[in-house]
Order: sequence, then structure tokens, then C-alpha cells
Amino acid sequence: MVNFTVGEIRVMMDKKRNIRNMSVIAHVDHGKSTLTDSLVSKAGIIAGAKAGETRFTDTRKDEQERCITIKSTAISMYFELDDKDLVFITSPDQRDKDTKGFLINLIDSPGHVDFSSEVTAALRVTDGALVVVDCVSGVCVQTETVLRQAIAERIKPILFMNKMDRALLELQLDAEKLFQTFQRIVENVNVIIATYNDDSGPMGEVRVDPSKGSVGFGSGLHGWAFTLKQFAEMYAERFKIDVVKLMNRLWGESFFNPKTKKWSKQKDDDNRRSFCMYILDPIYKIFDAIMNYKKDEYESLLQKLGIVLKHEDKDKDGKQLLKVVMRTWLPAGEALLQMIAIHLPSPVTAQKYRMEMLYEGPHDDEAALGIKNCDPNAPLMMYVSKMVPTSDKGRFYAFGRVFSGKVATGQKARIMGPNYVPGKKEDLYEKAIQRTILMMGRYVEAIEDVPSGNICGLVGVDQFLVKTGTITTYKDAHNLKVMKFSVSPVVRVAVEPKNPADLPKLVEGLKRLAKSDPMVQCIIEESGEHIIAGAGELHLEICLKDLEDDHACIPIKKSDPVVSYRETVSEESDQMCLSKSPNKHNRLFMKAQPMPDGLAEDIDDGKVNPRDEFKARARYLGEKYDYDVTEARKIWCFGPDGTGPNILVDCTKGVQYLNEIKDSVVAGFQWATKEGVLSEENLRGVRFNIFDVTLHADAIHRGGGQIIPTTRRCLYACLLTASPRLMEPVYQCEIQCPEAAVGGIYSVLNKRRGHVFEEMQVVGTPMFVVKAYLPVNESFGFTADLRSGTGGQAFPQCVFDHWQILPGDPLESGTRPYGVVQDTRKRKGLKEGLPDVTQYLDKM
Amino acid sequence: MPQFSTHELVSLEKDVESKKPLVVTNPKVIDGLYEVQKCAEWITKNSFQKVCLQFPDHLLPDSTDVALKLQGILAQSVYVLGDTSYESCCIDYVAAAHVDADAIIHFGPTCFSKTSGDVPYLNIYEKHPLQVEHLEAEISQIVNSVEGKDLVIVLDDAYIHYFDALRQRVKNAAVHKIVEDTLDVANKNVVFISENQRKLMNIGLGFKPKTLYLYDPSKPPSELTLFQEDQKILKRRYFLMEKIRDARTIGIVIGTLGVKNYLKIIERVKNLAIAYGKKYYLISVGKPTVAKLANLGEIDIYVMITCAMNEIYDSRDFYKPIVTPYDVEVALNSNARIHFTYDYNSYLNNLDEKLGLAKNENETDVSLLTGKLRSNAPANENIEESSSDSQVAVKGNGSLSVYFGAGYLSDRFWKGLEQNLGATDVKLAEKGRNGIAQGYDNETH
Repeated sequence: MVNFTVGEIRVMMDKKRNIRNMSVIAHVDHGKSTLTDSLVSKAGIIAGAKAGETRFTDTRKDEQERCITIKSTAISMYFELDDKDLVFITSPDQRDKDTKGFLINLIDSPGHVDFSSEVTAALRVTDGALVVVDCVSGVCVQTETVLRQAIAERIKPILFMNKMDRALLELQLDAEKLFQTFQRIVENVNVIIATYNDDSGPMGEVRVDPSKGSVGFGSGLHGWAFTLKQFAEMYAERFKIDVVKLMNRLWGESFFNPKTKKWSKQKDDDNRRSFCMYILDPIYKIFDAIMNYKKDEYESLLQKLGIVLKHEDKDKDGKQLLKVVMRTWLPAGEALLQMIAIHLPSPVTAQKYRMEMLYEGPHDDEAALGIKNCDPNAPLMMYVSKMVPTSDKGRFYAFGRVFSGKVATGQKARIMGPNYVPGKKEDLYEKAIQRTILMMGRYVEAIEDVPSGNICGLVGVDQFLVKTGTITTYKDAHNLKVMKFSVSPVVRVAVEPKNPADLPKLVEGLKRLAKSDPMVQCIIEESGEHIIAGAGELHLEICLKDLEDDHACIPIKKSDPVVSYRETVSEESDQMCLSKSPNKHNRLFMKAQPMPDGLAEDIDDGKVNPRDEFKARARYLGEKYDYDVTEARKIWCFGPDGTGPNILVDCTKGVQYLNEIKDSVVAGFQWATKEGVLSEENLRGVRFNIFDVTLHADAIHRGGGQIIPTTRRCLYACLLTASPRLMEPVYQCEIQCPEAAVGGIYSVLNKRRGHVFEEMQVVGTPMFVVKAYLPVNESFGFTADLRSGTGGQAFPQCVFDHWQILPGDPLESGTRPYGVVQDTRKRKGLKEGLPDVTQYLDKM
Repeated sequence: MPQFSTHELVSLEKDVESKKPLVVTNPKVIDGLYEVQKCAEWITKNSFQKVCLQFPDHLLPDSTDVALKLQGILAQSVYVLGDTSYESCCIDYVAAAHVDADAIIHFGPTCFSKTSGDVPYLNIYEKHPLQVEHLEAEISQIVNSVEGKDLVIVLDDAYIHYFDALRQRVKNAAVHKIVEDTLDVANKNVVFISENQRKLMNIGLGFKPKTLYLYDPSKPPSELTLFQEDQKILKRRYFLMEKIRDARTIGIVIGTLGVKNYLKIIERVKNLAIAYGKKYYLISVGKPTVAKLANLGEIDIYVMITCAMNEIYDSRDFYKPIVTPYDVEVALNSNARIHFTYDYNSYLNNLDEKLGLAKNENETDVSLLTGKLRSNAPANENIEESSSDSQVAVKGNGSLSVYFGAGYLSDRFWKGLEQNLGATDVKLAEKGRNGIAQGYDNETH
């Protein structure tokens, strides 16, 4: 039975200090959804016995079948905390004085790297994160990625060591070894946190500490968990020590000598580590007694610990009994609830320091203050982080977080897409919100209104947003910042309907797909091919399946996956390139040169961007990349799309009318950087320099028509004379496997042009971690290949890392890039063969 | 008045780029090839006073001979139309109107665009060689394999002079001329005798024959080749249609004044644009070139209203894409059930008058080009501004935010001449340059 009603939840929503918005994040298969079940069952939504098997938050059929989370799922739950636990919450912003209840809005997120955009979307609307780490495999690549993202979003983490049952039953680690393992994981996590968080920053210290109770231990599958607080409470009376003090003594270099009854900071012959003695020993004893069927022993143990079993459970033995006993003794839901309520920030606490990260507008306007104070009476500011499909085909719930004000059914609001600019009308709609709803895993509940600090869904705004957006009632509001994803859509497939008459359905389906996934790109290429671009093979596979089954509902043919390439140059143009305008009256003199390593990435990351103050930017470019500062001040533009990783630099001296043609040159530059000369792919990492320009004295003869096409021709000539190259996307792959399988990994990687750059043993385990770079183009079928090459022992996690030059000259037939260029040209319906430089280059 | 119009020397000295090699005919056979006698008879019979002779570029070298011979017979002057305004396959009424002509004789290849003008005209076709026996042999090879056996031979204009010969020899197929007004080959098996790939495509797209073979006599050994719709051209339509839906401003480029219903189709495109809240500009730039169309930076896409034979539709050199009226129709009218064709006349009369959004269509949808949201509703209905009638709205904090139609101008870097008030010395007026911008008197090319 669910032990709360929607009405109760609505009451709690107003008690903003008693709300915890949190996401569960981890590496794939570390047990997020399984652990989440413990809380769901504590809330009475599923039966306790089923917790750990139901994976309630895996709502899709394929999620259940594959045992992998694909979409993040939200659920709101209500809990009450005991008085003895409430005292641990000291900050007045963390609890209403007379309220025991807590509203926990939890989002369970996928761990597979292909779906990390879902994690990003989940983090945005939460304030705290439960980081789950499998204590057997330790901190993995995705653990680090999601943790880094969390810190960057100012999300406070707490840590949970999962799968203790495996450590005990399978690995048979002794207590001291297990402690070492735990300690190492805590250290690893804190190292990551320290790398990305500034302790003196507004979020303060965020490191996790078992002795503070912000680290949990246990087994999600078996439904038991504890923090040091639980054990300290058990022992507090016996030792006559205050719980908080005892917690400190139960972790780390703290030893107890049972004979002398003395605590010590050092290990000596007679004392034992307190954590092992007081926490692990009892657990080991129970495990040993039950798993070895020592009935008398465990019955007396149960009595000592005060565990009373239900009648029907008494007949169980072995693993089944172990589960029941552990769950009764150390219920996971309770430990998690305490960790969440005590250590994660309430919206009131969090929004104070998150506002400046979230809001694009001035930090003192009404909206900013509303967010900062989490004020339900301020104007509405809500961020929609993703779209959730409804049972009504083609319609979506807009899912997000109310940061300020109140969102209500029937309320009229401004819906602002990511391209909205205050004062303009682009990407802005004013519509009524049809309904506000509460997301409850696989169910939704209608709710009248939702105040600031809460997470909810909206009906009726999906038409006016693509993936994300800001909803407000404040006329001068700026946007809430757009999320930045850690993965890129580098793998593409072309799709077409099996029956050509179904094309309109496919197009409609693609539009729905574009909405429902935070990162997928659905595009029509110049050639008219319908393309879906995703982070990896698994991501695409899921997208295609959704498209076929849910969005388009038609059978679909798909091409083999391909990657998109970028065009670049490897040297400076070997001559000054001159192009004349059609009327021969205007001449442009330019050269292309490669950007120094790192600059293109800096532009991707926004460290160098078109909105920078130009002097500061020039200084940065001068210091970091040795650019001439006077030239660097005259960057005309970035491209393609005004922001891309190519620049146009004005290196002219005293040219008349130059300003007049700037718009046209920029337009030509945008055109040429979007459609490169080799195969109309985007350019990357190219700097174009304009050295001289001669212009007709009459404005009419140096208009856009004369300059735009000429600029493009001139830039093309620059590219062709600067040893053009192709770039391909490269994954960083992390593969975890036993030592015996490492050889197999090397041979599979070698076949696929991959190279290993790091190999190390995971301390305390027999596992090895191999890190390698692998061209995305070679990654198709990699997972399967790796499995068969290592007897199913290796499982890779691939995430896009960088662009890399594809060796070989694309202008020389027979090379690999030449083949790629020809294939691309053919696919795009361009003339086959190579572009001819004489077409673009003019003589004096 | 050289100050106000292009100097005539410019036109006379202009290099014409001809795609076809120029034809210079032996003067002895000109009479026969250009049917001078027939022309003269037609003129005398109708007693036309001012007759224009229209030649395509590649036949221009023969034009003087033809004109002189005609003048010799008629004892009246005829006019040669040199620079065809749009496509040389269409009757150039505009050029003819310069001399107030009462008749036009059109030489060379024609298209099947219906004509719009009311000036009488006569078509004189080229006469290309054809090996009738070879063609007959080729046809007999396929005649038994085609379904339904209703084989039709369609002669392109350059082969019409073989019409009678073919009729007599080829018994197992009907023979038609491409220029017949009532030509109807839908669902028939067609053999098209031509050297023009584009015309072939237009027959395939416009007349919808069951099968279509090409027999190209100019490229021996001429064999019958089966025509297949070029999937690339059809697929590219999807991209272009998406571009049209994304476009905020559409440029309607007038590329013909000779094709029937050109005003009607312009009207149609305008109405479609209005129904979707898009701005449009009607543009007439003579022969469209890359440079001319790139002058209008704010136009997102161009619709060419022109003859179906125009190859501009396939060009990818333009700054902004060029689409057919068909693309606009299908992109902006979800009820349109028409098959792709370059010739708008083939569907114009079957269109539903009703425009606007279909009932099941959303006000907004996702662009598959940019991934952004776009509005399908007429502009500015989404926001109800309290002061929507004024151009300037006062912002809460006292600063102004400006709304105006040409808002894109504010994003431009160049905003006009710098005045440098006070910084420039005052000078006496000097004599400037002389002439027009295309070439000042002191300028050398």
C-alpha cells in the first residue's frame, strides 16, 4: 500500500525546507535502479520482498528485458523521519521546525555512457546526487563522468557502496581487506570531487565522509544498508559515548583494544580496527552462520540483535533467509532516507548557490531573486529539462523543476526555447498550461499547482518546446541556461520507410523522436536522406526501436552506421589565394592555416567564444596560443553557425571600405565553413587570414552578390592550397576485465586502429582497466567483437573524446581519406572526383 | 543617355557562354534547314508587318543569313532577337514587344511549356539526322517484351522531319510529335527520340508513361535505354521542402514571361507563403545569376517561376537554394497530392483552393534541418503584447526594446556610412567620375 496520498504530497510541496530533489547516478550496472527500489518499497509503492527485483523506475519494457536503464525516471515520495534523526539536521534552511515529513523527488538515471544526456537532464533539476559505486569494481569511468557533471552543476553528492553481498559471498574478502576497499573508493571519489570543486566556493565542502554519515554501505539487491550512524546508535549506550563522537571512532585509523578497553590511533598487536570489529564482524558472523546453515548460531545472533522474523520467513534458509534477516536488521530504505534527508540540500539551501549557475539574466532581477530565495510568490521560473512521452501518441509531458514562483493548471505562461533572446519574439510563445502533474515512475497524478523547489510535469507546452526550455510569467525574464552534454551525437544512420508511401509518418516520427530524447539529432541532409545521429550504437539502437514502435509506427529500413567527418588543413596555404568577384572589380587575398592544438576544443567548450570581450580574448589567445595580439583582436567571426571552431581573422592594414563588406565576407565564411570544399562537411580547426582586399569604389559593385560567392571561392582556394585533411571522431574506451582477457583486448583494438594509452590493475581486485582511443568509425560491432575475443569477460564504455586527423591526403587517389571523400560526395549527390583549385583561384 | 542605361557596347561586346557548340551552316542548305520558304509564306499569308526571328544562342551564327534571305523574299525588314531574356526554348514575347512585333518565328529547340502571349508564332525546328532502320530494329527488339504492347514513339522537335518516314516504316508503334497539344502518353510505353536528357526527365515526370525509353541518335551506337526516375533529384526535394518550411522570407523569382499561367502560379506561391506567415518578395532580375541572387541576403529561399527546361533548379552554386513551385506547394500545403514535376502547368489546375493548416497539423513543429522549433502559424500571433500596435514597447526597467519587421538589419555589422561629423575637412566640390557604375569613363577593364 502506498503510504501517502497526492494530497499529502501537495501539502509537503509548500514546505520547501523539507524537500530533497535528488538523482541517483553511477556507472552502468552498479545497481542504481535496484537500490532505488529500497526507497520505493519504504514508501510502500512496491512490496519489500520485491524490492531489488522490481526495478520500479525501469518503466519501459526494453529496460526490464535488458536490465539496463535507458531513460531517467522520476518519482515523488513522502517519508517521515524519527525525532532522534531530526536532530542531525541543524541548518534552519534544511527543515521546517515542526515538520517531520520529507518529500523526496528522486530521479533514477541510466548508467550506460550512451545515455549520459539523460543524466545531465536529471542533474539539472535536482540538488543532490546519490553516487552509487559497486564496491567490487570500484570507481569506473562513468562514475567519474557523472560525478564531474554533478559538481559542475553544483549538485551535492553522497556516496553509496553497493553490492557488499558480492564482496562477502563471491570474493570472500576478509574484514580488513574490505575496509581497505571501502577506504580506497571513498578516497577516489573525494579526489574527483576535489579536482572539480573549489572548497572555498559557494557550495562549501562537498567531500563525502563515512564518519559524518554521508557514505552508505550495503546491498541494493538484498535490500539492506547502513551508515556509521546506525551502528553508532546501537553502540552509543554500551560505550556511553555520544553518537556523533562514536561515528568518528568507527571509521579510519581508529582501533580498540577489547582487553584494555582503550581506543588508539595506531594498530598494535592487541587492538583491532573499530570498523572491522564493530561493524563488519557482526555482519560477517550473520553471513557465515546463515550461509553455512548454523541454525543455533544464527538464532542466538538474531536474538542478540533483536531481530524478529515474520512467521512465514522462519522456514527459509540460505540466501533467502540471509536477505530477510539483513533487511529486517538494517533496512536499506531507512539508511538511505537518513542519508538523503540529513546530507542532501533542500531547494532553499541549494538554490542560493545554484542561481548564478542557472540564470542567464542579471543576478539581481526579480527572476534571479525568486530563484535565489526559492520564493513561491515570486514570478514563475521553471526549467524544462526533458520531454516524457505520454500514452497519447506524439504528445509529451514537459518535465522540469520549478525554481521560483508557482506553476498551476490553466496558468498563462511564456514558453521560451533555447534561442530566445529577451526583447525579441523568436522562440517565444505565450500559452496556457493545460495541466500540472506529478511524475510517479510509471504513473502520473494530476495536481492543482506546484510551488518553487519542486519537480513536476506539464501538459500542453510540448508543442512549443523541442527538448528543453524555460517557462516563466516574468516578462523580462532571461533564459535558464541550456544544459551542456558530455557526449556528442557522432554516430549516424540513414533511415527510410520500407513502404515509400509511409514517408510522412517517418517524418512525423522523427520529429517526435527529436523531442523525446535529450540529445538525438534528427536531420534531413542536403541529399534528402533522413539521418538520426546519436552518441553510440546502443543509443541509436534504442532510438530506432522507439521510432519504429512508438513514434512513427511503421517498418523502417536503416543504413549501416556511419560517422560524420570534418574538413581541416594541415599546413598554411602555399600561396596567397586571390579570388575576383564576378564583375572582376573586387579582389580578396587570403590564406588558411591550421589552428594550434587545443584551440578548436577551447572554442567547443566555450572558453573562447564570439561573445567574449575581444581584448580579453586576444590576450588569452596571445598567451596560450602565441597569437599576435593585434591580429587576435580582429577576429571577425567564428563559424559555422557563428560559433563553430573556425575563425576568420582580419590581417589587413588600412583597407578602404573594408567594414562595408564585412557582413558579406562573414556570410561567405559561414557558408564555406558549413560546407567544406572536399565533401561539404563542416570545417574544423581552420584559421583564415584576410591579408588584402581591393574593392570597387562604388558600393553597388561590392554588394553581397559580388562578395559572398567570391569569399567562398577564395576560402575554398585557401583550403585546397593548405594540404587539406579529413578529421574523424575518436572514442575514449574504457574496458574492465580480468588479467587473462587483456591480451584479447589488445588484438581486437589493433584490428580496429585503436591504441591503448593506459593499462592498470584495479587495486585490491584481480580486474584490469584498459583505456584506449578508438576511431568511432571502427567501433561498430566493437562490443560484440570484444566479447567474443575475450570470452565475454570484457565490456567497453566508449565516449566521444576528440577529433583526429585521418592519415593520408584526400587529394591523392587511393588513400583512405580520398575514399571517404568520394563516398561522401556520392551520398550527397555531388559531382564525383576532386574539386579543382583553378575553379576557385584567379590570376592577378 | 548613357548615364541612365547600360551602354550598348556592353551588350554588343558581351561574351555569351553557350553550352552547346555553335552551329555554322553552309549557306546553301540554309533555305532547307530553316524552311525559309515556309516562313515567308506564313508571313505573307497573314500579312504580318513586323516579324521577329528568335534564335537560341547556338544557332545565332546562322541568323543573319536567314534574316537576309527572308528580307530578300519579303522585301520587308525582319528583326533578329539576340539576347533572349529567359530561356531560349520559350517564345520571347518581351523582346518582341520592344519593336511592337506582330509575329515571332522561333527557331531551334522548344519546350512543352504552354505559352502565355497572344502574339502569333511559328516554330521552325532543327533537323538532326536519324537512322530510321536502326531505330526500327531497336524497337522490334523490345516490342514484344513490353506490357500491353501499346508502344508509342515520341519525336523530339529536332526529329519531327522524320515523322512521316517513321509512320510508314514502323508498323508496331504509334508515332507522335512532342509538340502535339493533345499528346497523352500516360500509362503507355514510350520511346522518346531525343538527345535532351532533361526533356526526357520532364516527360517521365510530367506525362507519367508506364515505361519510358530513350533513343539518342546523336550518340551512336544509339540504343534504347530505360529511363528511371533519378532518386537523387526526388530525394533532394525532402531537403528543399524542409528548407521552405524553415524559411521566413521567400523570394519569388520571375524567370519567364512566356509560359502560360505564370501569373497564376506566382499568385499561388504568394498565397501559400501568406498562409504560413512567411514574407515574400517578388523579384525580377532578368537571367538569375549567383551574384544577383546573393545580393538579397535576407531571403532564405528562392522559388523560380520558369520553364521546366531550366537547369537552374539543379545548380548547387547559389548562396540560397532554388526550388520549384511544386516544392513550395507540397511543403506548405499538406493536402497536396501531386507527383513531382518541374512543370507547374501540369498540376496547377487540379489544386484545391483551400489553404492554410490542415486540421491535424500543429501550430509548431520541429525543423529537421536545425533541430529548432518553428512556427507554422502566421507570424506574431503567438505573443499578445500589451502594446502590439506600437513599434516600440517600453521595457520594465526603462530601457527600450524595439520590434520591427526588418529586425535582421540590427544584426548587421555595417550600418551605413560613418559620418565623422566634424572630423572631415570642408572642401570645395570637385569634379567626380563620369559614366555609370558598370564602367566609368576613366575605368579600364
